[in-house]
Amino acid sequence: MATRLVDLARVVRSKNAGPLQITFDLMFTDRAGFEQAAASPALTPREIARLYGVDPATVAVIPFAPAHAIKIVLERPVVAGSPGDSDVYGAQQHRPLLGVVL
Amino acid sequence: MSVVARLLDAGLGPGRPLRALAASGQLGYGIPEPALREGLARAPHFIGCDMGSIDVGPYYLGAGRLATAEAVTRRDLRLVIHGARQVGVPLLIGTAGTAGAAPHVAQTLDLIRGIAREDGLGRLRVAVIHADADRTWLKAMAAAGRVRALGTALGSPLDAETVDRAAHVVGQMGTDAFIRALRLEPDIVLAGRACDTAIFAAVPIMLGYDPGPATHMAKIIECTSLCCAPGGRDAMLGTLHGESFELESMNPQRAATPLSVAAHSLYEQADPLAVHEPEGSVDLRAARFEPIDARRVRAGGAVWRPAARVSVKVEGAEWCGERAVLLASSCDPRVIEQREAIVAGVRRQVAEILPDAGSEACLLEFRVFGTGATGLFPGAAMGLPEPGEVFFLVECVAPTADLARATVAVAKQYLLHHGFPGRLSTGGNIAFPFTPPELPCGPAYRFSIYHLAECDDLAAAFPVELETVGGG
Repeated sequence: MATRLVDLARVVRSKNAGPLQITFDLMFTDRAGFEQAAASPALTPREIARLYGVDPATVAVIPFAPAHAIKIVLERPVVAGSPGDSDVYGAQQHRPLLGVVL
Repeated sequence: MSVVARLLDAGLGPGRPLRALAASGQLGYGIPEPALREGLARAPHFIGCDMGSIDVGPYYLGAGRLATAEAVTRRDLRLVIHGARQVGVPLLIGTAGTAGAAPHVAQTLDLIRGIAREDGLGRLRVAVIHADADRTWLKAMAAAGRVRALGTALGSPLDAETVDRAAHVVGQMGTDAFIRALRLEPDIVLAGRACDTAIFAAVPIMLGYDPGPATHMAKIIECTSLCCAPGGRDAMLGTLHGESFELESMNPQRAATPLSVAAHSLYEQADPLAVHEPEGSVDLRAARFEPIDARRVRAGGAVWRPAARVSVKVEGAEWCGERAVLLASSCDPRVIEQREAIVAGVRRQVAEILPDAGSEACLLEFRVFGTGATGLFPGAAMGLPEPGEVFFLVECVAPTADLARATVAVAKQYLLHHGFPGRLSTGGNIAFPFTPPELPCGPAYRFSIYHLAECDDLAAAFPVELETVGGG
């Protein structure tokens, strides 16, 4: 049966990492959940790029085992707080990830 | 004997426990008092507070204003100044006044002066570290190819016009500046724009502790109890031994666990395996976290890699216009269905009446909340259902406040009465929650500089000045 990311993750969050980047943290309760997600074809840079409509070359996916977490880094399309921004802190950009099936 | 002399005389050094109390990660939003009291009872060797960040956006750096309310900022400063005096240790404050440029430092220093006077604290020595970048130096460094852009959104190389246009330009100081300030034996170090870590790593490095674990500990405690489960804003105690350190929240309800602390390494960081500072970087690939008990963690394994060339992150914000907004909403299904055509029609009418509003210099944006307006990535699959109600935030950033206000006022009237096929709502397409629904927001700023500049002379970049306050 297909597992959704939201069924496995304890935290799915987004936040700026400086005004030019936005970072997403997917955190899992245990090692098994982390490993299942880290191995999923749904969380490759190419799939993340498709989900956010950006160039795959600008996407980094970094598994971080000590925290049972996966970090995703995207470049902000608008510098934080410049006219045209919609989320100065970048804290509400995780929505597209909520539909991901691992 | 000064508090710094006493600290230097306390026989501290690698192998001896050095207690750092992180009182606040954002001074001015209300320090929880019980945890601060508990922290003071643990006899810390110094108290550190972070007072700012770039996360709040370009306005504060550009406008020279504090993001925090003056009354709460005064309350928090009063708590930590009294706390540091009570235990007789130095107080270190970084990124004064939200953004750490000259006006932010001056306003914070004014508050400290007021507290010293009102509370009869006697003479207090404040070492002030300035972080405003010398523009001539920055332009020369850029021309010499020694400044590089971080990311692709802002120009590289940094040009002289951009440097001149910025309202304020600051550099992020590291531990070097704090250590120079501490050598003046102040009661308080008040720093302009500073790396969060430098506030907490400077004393350990000054006392000869390994910068790797010292900076790693600083990186974790600078957000106080955010590294705990559940996370919070209560004071955090870091005890540095040398290669390893211990972490404990001063609120008994918050537990630092190996998982919660490791997870914090991710927070607002693009790279969880390294922390970059002006003087070097911390390699966290061998970092380890082990439980001491249910709510304390021991961490270690961080390795310090000195920088081949010292470099400083430089931040600048420039004015980009005057902003006005209109707030309105609708729950009419036909208005919601026709929203794109309505907005296009209103745009045409505004441009007809106010030709200046259609110019390049004037930004007019219709954000329709309920339909994905929170999303920052235009091509993202938001997966939102069709809304039953929407919120219109109409924003104008124009060369003058009058034009910005005029633009949203005209947009308001045409949005209210815009005709479209099948329209039922001829009384008005939108609801206003209050009057006036169009509001001036004042000047708008944008980050124009976020670059890395090599620096040959940290003492010139971050000069220290000693001021004595209070004492009649």
